[in-house]
Amino acid sequence: MTRKPHIFMVSALASACAFAAQAQDNSVTIVLSEELEIVEPCSATKSNVGRVLFQNISETVTEMDPETGLQPRLAKSWEDMGDGTWRFHLNEGVTFSDGSTMDAEDVAHSLVRVKSPAIACEIGAKFFGGIDITTDIIDPTTIDVTANPPQPILPMLMSTVTVTPSDTPLDKFVDHPIGTGPYTFDEYERGQYIKLSANPNYWGEQPTVQSATYLFRADSAVRAAMVAAGEADIAPSIALQDAVDPSMDFSYPNSETVFLRIEHEQAPLNDLRVREALNLAVDREAFVGTILANGTLLATGITPPSTIGYNHDLSPYAFDPDRARALLEEAQADGVPIDTEITLIGRTNNFGNVLEMMEALLAMYQDVGFNMKLEMVEVAEWLERYAKPFPENRGPELIEAQHDNANGDPVFSMYFKYHSDGQQSGITDPKVDEMIAQATAATGDERAALWSELFAYLHDEIIADVMLFHMVGFSRVNERLDFAPSIRTNSELQLSQIEFK
Amino acid sequence: MLNFLGKRAIASGISLVGLVLLVFFLSRLTGDPTGLYLPLDASEESRMQFREIHGLNDPLIVQFFSYMGDLIRFDFGDSIRRSEPAIDVVLRAFAWTLQLGTLTMMLVVSCAIVVGSLAAFHVGGIFDRIATFFSLIGASAPDFWVAIVAIVIFSVTLGWVPTSGTGSVAHWILPIAVLFIRPFGLIVQIVRGSMITALSSAYVKTARAKGIKNRAIIFVHALRNAMLPVITVVGDQAAALLNGAVVVETIFGFPGVGKLMIDSILQRDFTVVMAAIMVTATAIFVMNLLIDILYSILDPRIRY
Repeated sequence: MTRKPHIFMVSALASACAFAAQAQDNSVTIVLSEELEIVEPCSATKSNVGRVLFQNISETVTEMDPETGLQPRLAKSWEDMGDGTWRFHLNEGVTFSDGSTMDAEDVAHSLVRVKSPAIACEIGAKFFGGIDITTDIIDPTTIDVTANPPQPILPMLMSTVTVTPSDTPLDKFVDHPIGTGPYTFDEYERGQYIKLSANPNYWGEQPTVQSATYLFRADSAVRAAMVAAGEADIAPSIALQDAVDPSMDFSYPNSETVFLRIEHEQAPLNDLRVREALNLAVDREAFVGTILANGTLLATGITPPSTIGYNHDLSPYAFDPDRARALLEEAQADGVPIDTEITLIGRTNNFGNVLEMMEALLAMYQDVGFNMKLEMVEVAEWLERYAKPFPENRGPELIEAQHDNANGDPVFSMYFKYHSDGQQSGITDPKVDEMIAQATAATGDERAALWSELFAYLHDEIIADVMLFHMVGFSRVNERLDFAPSIRTNSELQLSQIEFK
Repeated sequence: MLNFLGKRAIASGISLVGLVLLVFFLSRLTGDPTGLYLPLDASEESRMQFREIHGLNDPLIVQFFSYMGDLIRFDFGDSIRRSEPAIDVVLRAFAWTLQLGTLTMMLVVSCAIVVGSLAAFHVGGIFDRIATFFSLIGASAPDFWVAIVAIVIFSVTLGWVPTSGTGSVAHWILPIAVLFIRPFGLIVQIVRGSMITALSSAYVKTARAKGIKNRAIIFVHALRNAMLPVITVVGDQAAALLNGAVVVETIFGFPGVGKLMIDSILQRDFTVVMAAIMVTATAIFVMNLLIDILYSILDPRIRY
């Protein structure tokens, strides 16, 4: 009987030694903010799923690099065949982790699968909605992909398509993903961890990191503490208040843009002067380094500055409350009902300090004379207010939203946020629709120029919304790693890009 | 006794059906989960497909009878979020919560009885004052604050125990320690108060007059009679733990049922919410039955 406490102590000490020794030379431990509900490659564009699977387990046909543009991955080259058809030439000698050879049939099957009606794949719903895709296999390493309506950015769309073997079921999610990537999916102990290890038969260069363990902790302080205690190597996302150690903490543009969507059909928001006043009333610079992190950029467009066609000539609206008051008085004199109560809607927990930001915005608007109230709503109610069909009998509303675009091209953002048929568009403007159509159909420099014109039209001419900030994220990285988070860290974390010091 | 158990089981069953009804319709009032699972930019076609797959297009009453029909066959449905049977998800999480709660309550009850009894033996003495001071602090300390401070001190600074997670004996130390504090503080106070009453009873004075040792007076004679209110509070605290120690599970990354329920409610994963509530409610019914039985063992005057 008396020996039992000693046995417990020895066991506890042994366990403590074991966890301290967890960080081995060629393995890494990554602590994520939430458990993965699924480990399905066709939903790898979800951020936490992507950080495990994207380009680690499942590779894409092409690869979008925010710095260098579209790059080859499983396809070594591609060409426009006209009429909406693109031909992709695949690399030879690529095998899946189960030993089977990857070929054009697998690519064709993967394209069918992301749009399978029996499963709700994030990639299909997000990038291929309203697009019919057909394929024609020319030979095992050549495939023609046709989009209807034609998509000039089809090669870019293919950077989202994770390729799975052709026998992957079309009617259910997989729980043990098989891909062509540099790692194999070893084990998922639900609620506890996921383990990957290097794929010895990988067709490309062997990575330095030989194994990875993913853990899940909801609390940012705990994630930061785990890296500080040596229990984890990377916490891809920690809160501003936990990023206090310059030797380990990195900030990076996280591809998120915060803005207030204006309902253009509702008075008094249908008046250009009122919309300009909404922009002039906000002291954007006062937020940076206080409520929001240093490094946060003032936004003039809905996508990150690294996006193709982002208009760098535009300037954020300067803080000018006197001018805002004058515009409101002028509008009122012309019969615009500026006394109408406007509802400012914020989404709870959308990002750190969102409540404080919304309260500050409310104070700024009330200061220049807007009759405004603030409603903070949880995500489900926010969605009902933000996406069409909009609630009936709604009054004038300003809705806070955070939009993520790490794809490098504004096409999806512009269509959904500003096209008359866009799911979250607050405007109906035939000229905007036309400009979106022209830019979508264009390629190269012409495409960039057309997007740039649209950015200017939205920001300066019709004042589509209140653009606020391009946000930054924070990661904590163990000093033994040679790894710097980037805009990609928001949605993926390629283990093959991690080196040891 | 068997008659009593039978009646309690029937009453519990009726309560469970009422709970299912209430939770089913109340949870649906929160709205359609489609928007939470599909990307913002998903087309209406994709949304319709999602609703069709998960039976969300049917009228609510049809969904209810379909659910009850499945439930009779012990089919709790599949989790929308995890694409696996909801009952598997819940039982996996409940096993963790049950272990965590049982270990914690065993420690709490053992320590609280000893400390509370000794404090009651010399009311106003130094041990009583220290025990009262710390138990009151424990009963009022917020879990999340204690947990974060404990991680900073014992894991990051001293490196004695892991910050969080599971996998070894050491991983259990901080979660149990944090969960221990509040019920311990509360139960010490209950034991102390109850023991003060018991120790001033005539039978204790008689025992003292007969020259029986203090240890036997406290732990044999007085304690048994002082335990009834303690068991009531222990039951209450244990029920709270069976529902999941949400804060502790969240901070320490413990995959228990409390965190699962909160996540499932936020994600409108209705099948998991329903299964979790039924499993925890059943566990609480069973625990209440055990407490009733324990009452009758401790106090032979109680008969069912």
